[in-house]
Amino acid sequence: MTIPAWIPDIFAAIMLVVAAVSAARLVARRPWHLGRDAVVADIDLAHLLMAIAMAGMLTASLHTLPDGVWAAVFGVLTAWFGLHVVRDVRVQGIRALAGDCCAPHLVHSAAMLYMFLAITAPAAASGSGTAGMGGAGAAMQTLALPVLALIFAILLIGYCVWDLDQISGPGVSGHYSLAVPRIAPAGAILAGVGAHGGGQDGTELRTEVVLASSRPLGTEAAKPTAPGQAPSSATTPTGSGPGRTVLAPWVATTSRIAMAVTMAFMLMIMV
Amino acid sequence: MFILAFRERVVLAWLRQAGGKQGEPEMSDIAVAGGHGAWQARLGVETGAARAAADARRVLQLGLAGIWLLDGVLQYQSFMFSKAFGQMLGATAAGNPGVIASPISWDARLVEHHAVALNAIFATIQLLIGLGIAWRPTVRLALGASIAWSLAVWWFGEGLGDVLSGGASPVNGAPGAVILYALLAVLLWPSDRGGIAAPPAAPFAAARALGAQAARALWLVLWLSLAYFALVPAANRAPQALHDMIAGMTAGEPRWLAAIERNAAALVAHQGLAASVVLAIALILIAVGVYLPASAARGALILAIVVCSVIWVVGEAFGAILAGGATDPNSGPLLLLLTLAYWPARTAAVPHTAAAVEGTTA
Repeated sequence: MTIPAWIPDIFAAIMLVVAAVSAARLVARRPWHLGRDAVVADIDLAHLLMAIAMAGMLTASLHTLPDGVWAAVFGVLTAWFGLHVVRDVRVQGIRALAGDCCAPHLVHSAAMLYMFLAITAPAAASGSGTAGMGGAGAAMQTLALPVLALIFAILLIGYCVWDLDQISGPGVSGHYSLAVPRIAPAGAILAGVGAHGGGQDGTELRTEVVLASSRPLGTEAAKPTAPGQAPSSATTPTGSGPGRTVLAPWVATTSRIAMAVTMAFMLMIMV
Repeated sequence: MFILAFRERVVLAWLRQAGGKQGEPEMSDIAVAGGHGAWQARLGVETGAARAAADARRVLQLGLAGIWLLDGVLQYQSFMFSKAFGQMLGATAAGNPGVIASPISWDARLVEHHAVALNAIFATIQLLIGLGIAWRPTVRLALGASIAWSLAVWWFGEGLGDVLSGGASPVNGAPGAVILYALLAVLLWPSDRGGIAAPPAAPFAAARALGAQAARALWLVLWLSLAYFALVPAANRAPQALHDMIAGMTAGEPRWLAAIERNAAALVAHQGLAASVVLAIALILIAVGVYLPASAARGALILAIVVCSVIWVVGEAFGAILAGGATDPNSGPLLLLLTLAYWPARTAAVPHTAAAVEGTTA
């Protein structure tokens, strides 16, 4: 039994869009100019890699790297976000597991790692990689330890609905802001300047200057943004036109939602 | 952990709302009135304090959205695109009266012949319902659609949960998991009886849309019906009935879950009547629990959580998701969500408001 090939193809197409958007965000962010703040690009880089990897898993023709390489890549990403979650938990306690911190990225990375390690398709066993999920090649693809697949799917769905609620809600943080960042006009009042330095383990929290945006001044205090956390509108470099739009926080969140749904789909059809 | 963090945020939102000075707008209100407000106004969504603040009902709505999303992705499994799915639907007609069974058989034949197209539509609908509930501007639309969809699936997909055929048992998902989606959508409908009420004012989240009396009556009917189904079909009282029902869930499950099932089945072997009576008594206690004072009600709700969990793990094997071919996680998580919707709200901080609203909702 297989699922029709056009269904994973649609999901793969969505992943390609996510990859393109993430690549555009990376370019627009100009991480080579950010110096030590280049860390803000980690989420876009993770999204880019995940989207490419998932597209390859969904459709054989989009297959890129061997499964072992992808497993190594997502092992590194899992460790990276895991470290940030541990740091966040030390600072914020259990709140660090909420959707606007690194925890969702850790779950995404770990789910990808699990999929590449647990897949038991004959093609994967031979080391040549996954053969796509639709059509005849998908017949034998299953995941070892299916309970982990269910747990990951539930977590991904949990963060997905949380993200959707936040992105369509009153905007509890800049992380979910729907506003497109723009430069404050001359004479505009800076809403707040939060200087936070000397973070733990030598990590400095970024100094954040809240520039005028479509949000009224004072509605949201400047917040320190931990490395690895999706940057708020205020932390994105200023530019013009499409560059600004693509850097809006909701773009990253929407990408994350699309990836969560796609990942949950992949996990459940391989149980 | 995620749920704990989630709950903490909700509690913080409540505290912020309860602690706001009169006449001084809350931060969330300002945010809504500002940039987001303009955006939301274009979408025609509700605004204001009741809209802005995260509250228990919204958390439960998100839980429901999550279950719908899980249903959606489960519906994309390869089994559902085969003729076997249509045959599975057709099997639910057995034992039902002709007027119920005939449309089921017709629908099953249709699905069998157009399995790919129809199942893709079914899966996408469920996915969209989940996304729609989580996306605030479409919550009403999605909840409304979920009610219509649930009723249709209850009939055409579950044969009314075997309620009329005599095969219903609370252990295997009576009265049909999908009807619980509709019930939850009604109880979690985003409106407040008697006007806008502050979230902490209603005695429990499920009372906000329908009022406490109607919500309690629904709870009573549901749990008493479960108690009835635990006892009344003679087959459920047979010495080996529960044993066979639980043992039948082991097929295709991981070893650890199959072992749990086998041990649980062995525990109730030849004890069908006694086990059914104990279960029915527990279900009756749960049913009347919401009419008791808050502290006693909490006890009944904790019992409900325990019973739901046992049913989900032992009786339903997590909806047989791990065995493949499940269309939903069955009734366990929905009963759990329903129970949380009746959890008494903390009204001590605003007693005067609570009393006033209790008067309008009760």
